Amino acid sequence: MVESQLESLAQSARERIGAAATAEELEAVRVEVLGRKGALAEISKGLGRLSPEDRARIGKLLNLAKNELEALLERRKQEFEEAALRAKLEAEWVDLTLPAPGPRPGVLHPLTQIQEELEDLFTSMGVVVLDGPEVETEYNNFDALNIPPDHPARDMQDTFWLTDGNCLRTHTSCVQVRGMAKLGPPLRMIAPGRVFRNEEVDPSHEHTFYQLEGMMVDRNVSIAHMLYFMKTLLRHIFGREVTVRLRPGYFPFVEPGFELDVQCLICDGQGCPVCKHSGWVELLPCGLVHPNVLRMGGIDPEEWSGFAFGLGLTRLVMMRYGIDDIRYLQSGDLRFLRQF
Amino acid sequence: MRFSYNWLKEMALGLATEPRDLMNLITLKTAECEGLHKVGQHFSQVVAAKVLQVEPLGSGRNRKTLIDAGPLGQHTVVCGAPNCRPGVITVWVPPGTRLEDQVIGVASIDGVSSAGMLASGRELGINRDHEGILEIEAEPGALIPGCQPDFVIEVDNKSLTHRPDLWGHHGMAREVAAILGLVLRDPVHLTQLPQGASPFRVSVEDSALCPRYSALVVENVQVRPSPLWLQYRLQAIGLNPINNVVDVTNYVMAELGQPMHAFDAEQLAGDTIFVRPARDGEPFDALNDESYRLTPAALVIADKQGAIALAGVIGGKHSAISQTTTKLVLESANFQAANIRRTSVRLKLRTDASQRFEKSQDPANTVRALARAVELLEIVSPGCRVCGGVADAAAERPLPPPIELPVDWLIRKLGREIAPEQARQILEALQFGVDQPSPRVLTVRVPSWRATKDISIKDDLVEEIGRMIGYDTITPTAPVVPTTPPYQDPRRSFLRRLRHLVAAQGFDEVYNYSFVSEELARRFELDPEKHVRVANPISVEQGLMRQSLIPGIWRNVVENSKHWDQFRLFEIGFAIHPRAGSLPEEIPHLTAAIYSRTGDTELLFEMKRLAECVLEGCELRPCPAHGYEHPARTAEVLWREQVVGRLFEFHPRWVETGRAVALDLNLATVESLGKREKRYQPVRRFPSSAFDLSVVVPRRTLVGDLEKVIRQLAGADLDRVTFLRQYEGPPLEEGLKSVSFRITVAAPDHTLSNDEVSAIRERMIRGMRAQGYELRV
Ligand SMILES: [Zn+2]
Repeated sequence: MVESQLESLAQSARERIGAAATAEELEAVRVEVLGRKGALAEISKGLGRLSPEDRARIGKLLNLAKNELEALLERRKQEFEEAALRAKLEAEWVDLTLPAPGPRPGVLHPLTQIQEELEDLFTSMGVVVLDGPEVETEYNNFDALNIPPDHPARDMQDTFWLTDGNCLRTHTSCVQVRGMAKLGPPLRMIAPGRVFRNEEVDPSHEHTFYQLEGMMVDRNVSIAHMLYFMKTLLRHIFGREVTVRLRPGYFPFVEPGFELDVQCLICDGQGCPVCKHSGWVELLPCGLVHPNVLRMGGIDPEEWSGFAFGLGLTRLVMMRYGIDDIRYLQSGDLRFLRQF
Repeated sequence: MRFSYNWLKEMALGLATEPRDLMNLITLKTAECEGLHKVGQHFSQVVAAKVLQVEPLGSGRNRKTLIDAGPLGQHTVVCGAPNCRPGVITVWVPPGTRLEDQVIGVASIDGVSSAGMLASGRELGINRDHEGILEIEAEPGALIPGCQPDFVIEVDNKSLTHRPDLWGHHGMAREVAAILGLVLRDPVHLTQLPQGASPFRVSVEDSALCPRYSALVVENVQVRPSPLWLQYRLQAIGLNPINNVVDVTNYVMAELGQPMHAFDAEQLAGDTIFVRPARDGEPFDALNDESYRLTPAALVIADKQGAIALAGVIGGKHSAISQTTTKLVLESANFQAANIRRTSVRLKLRTDASQRFEKSQDPANTVRALARAVELLEIVSPGCRVCGGVADAAAERPLPPPIELPVDWLIRKLGREIAPEQARQILEALQFGVDQPSPRVLTVRVPSWRATKDISIKDDLVEEIGRMIGYDTITPTAPVVPTTPPYQDPRRSFLRRLRHLVAAQGFDEVYNYSFVSEELARRFELDPEKHVRVANPISVEQGLMRQSLIPGIWRNVVENSKHWDQFRLFEIGFAIHPRAGSLPEEIPHLTAAIYSRTGDTELLFEMKRLAECVLEGCELRPCPAHGYEHPARTAEVLWREQVVGRLFEFHPRWVETGRAVALDLNLATVESLGKREKRYQPVRRFPSSAFDLSVVVPRRTLVGDLEKVIRQLAGADLDRVTFLRQYEGPPLEEGLKSVSFRITVAAPDHTLSNDEVSAIRERMIRGMRAQGYELRV
């Protein structure tokens, strides 16, 4: 009698749990069946009236039914919670193709980039990086570099003169003078920086551009050493082995002086418009430091010798990126600068 | 400088190297060649022809002409030249000839089939005459006498700066002969120069300015056009044929590098040529039709009446060679390079002569040039006679001492082996004199044409031997150097870190010019008179050296706002300030800007954030604004109790399309404040407590100031003060705001009790009230 009552109760509870559509309906079933005043509690209250054997048997059945229904309820509850969470998360849908707000890292000027790259290379080779002022004395810019007044070589560089008699440096070579005074022999230095020439501006000419001067002074420095150094530098810059040639070039602060040409990287020396069909591109003026320059730098040329070179950073940037108008570099135009 | 291949061939005997190959050799061993030009290729096709008949044709200038080209037959040619007349012998360009990049064909002109054309001197590249067809003397059908196809090699003048000898073909032929192992012919025959006294005297006032002045008088000269070969040569290398006398002086200059001048002897007053400084204000009418007022800085050639030439630069008009000249004074002189250069720069007058003299010409060359000129004059004006000998005022010139060249030293410089014998051969090919006092030492005598400036020390000889032996024979070798870490300039490192930091915050780097115009400086309230000034600017835009990076950055903002709705940019560069008695001070600045078409106050705070990224713990202190700054949005940047820059919004009149905020930091000041030593503080071990305080203050009370007051009052147990919010509006009275802070306190040795925290709070409230602040508790 009690068993059948229990069984039908359990059966009905199972059905109701299975059919509950919401967490509330489920809770109602739990209260009705498993609550303190629920149906199972009622039955358990009536156990006292039963014989000990029946009591034990029914009590066991009752526990079984209770455990079973609780487990069912718990599973259903979890299902409802899962569904609720799923629904909530689904509602939190975000379009990740939307653009992300906030600034991106800015772009360093291409000249800064190439300059830093070269500074790192040279530093790794034990070379000191030095700076010189943009405004220089006539002495440092010319005389100390073996270009006395009225020397025709002064024509090679149209100079901006200042009303105080100084000038805007026409090359970074003046830092040679400062470097020799600061470091003394032996020395290895480079000096990147801004230089000025009094020239009308057009796509291939600028009055303001960037150079990198290099100098090494030691005992018995030779043309062979200079060539090695230059080739190492160029291999790094172009990321591959380059063929170079030296030919005479005249710069009063070196003797002998050279122009170093690189075999055209566009046509591999076959001839193309970039190299004016010569197969070679003029890149690096260089030479052995003139004994007068060493002397003026307080270094005894009988004891020491050296080489020096000048690298056109602006030119290098233009070559690397194929920039055909030099004026972009100082235009401040972000449409240009953001490409690097 | 342009070099004629045929001309070089006359002196470098047996020259057979292809012009293009020769050009490459010259580039590799001597001087940079810039180009190779074909010249007069048509001279293998054009021939002399006699005009037989001329018939009018139509209403224009064209006429139907029948010509006789000897073995090439008779042809009909249409010609419009006024001097085309029967009997004249001219130049016929047969069909199929390429002339000035154009192939001449058979054309129908005014209904007449014209076979080729009759050509002017200009069309043929012989001279610049285009008035009519060229009239010549030759057998019909013959090639044009003395005119052959040629090549012109163009050499970069800059690479000849140190080589006075290469400003003439003979010098280049010497190089070519040395490179190719050819025999060099000297075009000069000094023995032909007559000896004896000159009818003219030469008086040189200062032999330092004029080391040598040689003159020769030639009479019975007939001035007329030069023979075609001479005109063609000059024309080919870019010199304008004028008349036989002037052409000879130019020819000699182009051949020997020695500039010459011819005076009309009848136009000179007296029989003495003076070489002296110009008198102050001395007038001088030059051949170029310009009149100059000279100063004593210029050297003149004068007769007893006044200047007849500006020494080494240009001749005078009055004594110039004219059609009626019959007697010449030929000048072949040597002048001090620096003086000529100064005069030519000052008068802005660069001539073929001054260009050569400023390279320090060889004084030994003056008499050689006279000998060559006389020889040529006898060809171009047969019957002319030299009067007397050379008037030659020459200063004593000691021979330069020989250079001792130790071969082992040479080897160390080159970085390759070379036998003494080979070094000697190279030098001798270049006409150096070489002795060998010991097996491994050479004693080298420098020839006069290399001794003026070019070569004086043994290092100069390294170049001579290196270039001839070929730099491509030197194997690159790693130098042996110590491996010590290089010195690092702290400023460089600082600026570099800064660049990366600012870029990482979203700012793009720009480079602006170091120049600023007076007008722009003034607009930014900077006094143009206190700027470093360019004496020779390209334009007024570049008259001053910038004293601030702000004008440049402002321009970048305005320009870029045309293309972008919002951007951030910065520059690190130098502001240049005059400094009495020394070079200007170059102060590094960081100047940054943020622009937004729609933004507002957040731009200021984004910029403030950048300032704080750069200068940890910096503060802003509102300050009076400049005209270009927003009057209520401008502040000084303080760092470690010093003003290091400004942060401001541009005045809306300056940036009309949106808003722009700028930051300008003086990095020299920042750098001088340096790095602080960092010291370890023990980590707090006991929990902290927090409470909030709200202060009601007038609207424009600075939150920064309030925070300072709170910090002071909090005392030793303060951990931190955090700004929470500020509020204006009901129930607060108009003009007031409430500012809330969270104060966190903690003790180093125990957990603060509630009572202790309350005590701190009460103490602070009392303290604030005592200072007149109203608190909402
Ligand atoms: Zn190429």
